[in-house]
Amino acid sequence: MTADRIILGVTLVLAALYFWATQQIPSLEIGDPLGPKAFPRLLGIGLLLTAALLAGEMWKARHEKPAPAEPGSMVHYLVVGGVAVWTWLYFYSFEPLGFIIATVLYLLGLTGYFNRGKWIANVSTAILFPVFTYLMFTKGLGVSLARGVLPF
Amino acid sequence: MDTLTHIINGFAVCLQPINLWYTFVGVFLGTIVGVLPGIGPSATIALLIPVTFGMNPTSALIMMAGVFYGTKYGGSTTAILIRTPGEAASVMTTLDGYEMARKGRAGAALAVSAIGSFIAGTIGVVALTIFALPLASMALKFGPAEYFTLMLFAMTAVASLTGKSPAKGLLATLLGLMISTIGIDLQSGQPRYTMGIAEFQDGVGFVVVVVGMFAVSEVLRGLVDIQRGTGAKLLPISGKLWLTREEWKRSVGPIWRGGVIGFIIGVLPGAGGTIASILSYTTEKRLSKHPEEFGHGAIEGVAGPEAANNADTAGALVPLLTLGVPGGGSTAVLLGAFIMYGIQPGPLLFQNRPDLVWGLVDSMYIGNVMLLILNLPLIGLFVKLLLIPIGILYPLIVSIAAIGAYGINGSVLDLYLILTFGVLGYIFDKVDIPVAPLVLSLVLGGMMEQSFRQAMTISGGNPKIFFNSAITMTLVVMSVISISLPFVLPRLKAMLKSEEE
Repeated sequence: MTADRIILGVTLVLAALYFWATQQIPSLEIGDPLGPKAFPRLLGIGLLLTAALLAGEMWKARHEKPAPAEPGSMVHYLVVGGVAVWTWLYFYSFEPLGFIIATVLYLLGLTGYFNRGKWIANVSTAILFPVFTYLMFTKGLGVSLARGVLPF
Repeated sequence: MDTLTHIINGFAVCLQPINLWYTFVGVFLGTIVGVLPGIGPSATIALLIPVTFGMNPTSALIMMAGVFYGTKYGGSTTAILIRTPGEAASVMTTLDGYEMARKGRAGAALAVSAIGSFIAGTIGVVALTIFALPLASMALKFGPAEYFTLMLFAMTAVASLTGKSPAKGLLATLLGLMISTIGIDLQSGQPRYTMGIAEFQDGVGFVVVVVGMFAVSEVLRGLVDIQRGTGAKLLPISGKLWLTREEWKRSVGPIWRGGVIGFIIGVLPGAGGTIASILSYTTEKRLSKHPEEFGHGAIEGVAGPEAANNADTAGALVPLLTLGVPGGGSTAVLLGAFIMYGIQPGPLLFQNRPDLVWGLVDSMYIGNVMLLILNLPLIGLFVKLLLIPIGILYPLIVSIAAIGAYGINGSVLDLYLILTFGVLGYIFDKVDIPVAPLVLSLVLGGMMEQSFRQAMTISGGNPKIFFNSAITMTLVVMSVISISLPFVLPRLKAMLKSEEE
């Protein structure tokens, strides 16, 4: 229920922001009677209607008992937050360090935590996978990946 | 006669060694991706786009289609052996497939799902071959107003049928459409919603959205499960990889019915493989003389749903190829791939590029034969993939996603975007906002706006054009029905009930 209330609130804020940003689009209405704003305005109206539907669904479900919270729901936030920050660091270092080094570090960190204790498998995957994929993509498939500090 | 020539010429295209090879690569990748949890057809197809750049479009699309229908074969393996659907559509197979495996009949369960998939997949492709051309020639009469209302119907159907709440489905649809408006407006040349970021002038690519929402968020979910220790145990393949005469007799009916149900559901927008397999399961349970066996290892409960979700893939290609309007998430990604190659699916494609259309359709006959071989005698090899610890597998998926996202433009912004959409996808899943409608409307958004503006230009700004022809009227009414049905239906039921009493 609380989640639904937040969704409703976010939807309304989003609609307001979107209407405001649509207003900011400069338009010269020559040869195009509708201009670049018409379709977005339609979407903004659609968003308001959706908010009304959401409110309707919440009203209908007002007597339902909320589902009991899943046990260990704090774990969600910690794991997702931790992995997201670690992944952000990975992407942040993607170009400066280069694909291979950044990926080795990223994989060492995550496999070391989520596949605990199996360090031979973890270390060999963390090193072999980036080297192999780097060579395959850059030399074999012609997809360029960040080289970073390595000379090749 | 002309059609027959095209169909035969299609075989000449798809039997070229290079295209046979890409069919094989596609279905092979599809089986792997199907077996592995954490990455599905949509993300894989999106990740293949940067790799296949510069390839012959026919070969590339044959390969991507192979991934699309190949995953359905692999998905059942995971469902049977570890009671986790490798793909969403295999969820019904977990019920009886896993029970069969526990009773030492894993071999039979795997065999019936491979054979059922093959028969139904082929039924689906035959139906696709038959129905594609008449539909395409009908679609030739479509103008911008018809296209706009058709897309409206596809979106509303997907919004109200995927997920638990139609309002949240609609919210996802609108979010996708709003993302599609980011970038320079092609008609007026004005930048819209770019927030001063130069990279946004080209818009937000659908590849980063798909990879984020389907791969990265799946990884986040998987890692939370590891932390909680809620992983299932892998059962060994037990028993012969074949059916007894009795099992075969029990499976034939469900396979045929599943094939027909799957194809029809596939053609309709919105429903998709999961609903097709649920429908087939409930049908078989109702028809069965032993409904009490369902859930305890009834082979009909594996044969029917597996057949249905495979025929569904062929059915889903009908609106994509003939109308150019997909009816679900994965076909929307396929449409995105077509567009990246500068190919617009739709009725004109059948006239201008019959080699491509029929080469692609015919390659599915061959792909299904390859899949039968990969998933029956060679299934043991793929099961080995399930021995990869998921604590290693999931981090690798993020790296692969990074390669794919970075490979398109060489831009770090795309990496941040897959992370953002990954976290967003995870949150959406927690609060029951479906992701498929967002992807569909993101891919269709540009086309939808174009047809809206063209129609309004034709009518001189009068919105009555959307209610002028029988086709547009029907589509508008169907859109309204698809959105209001979930609200009206329960009330109607309650009214009927109170009248009976």
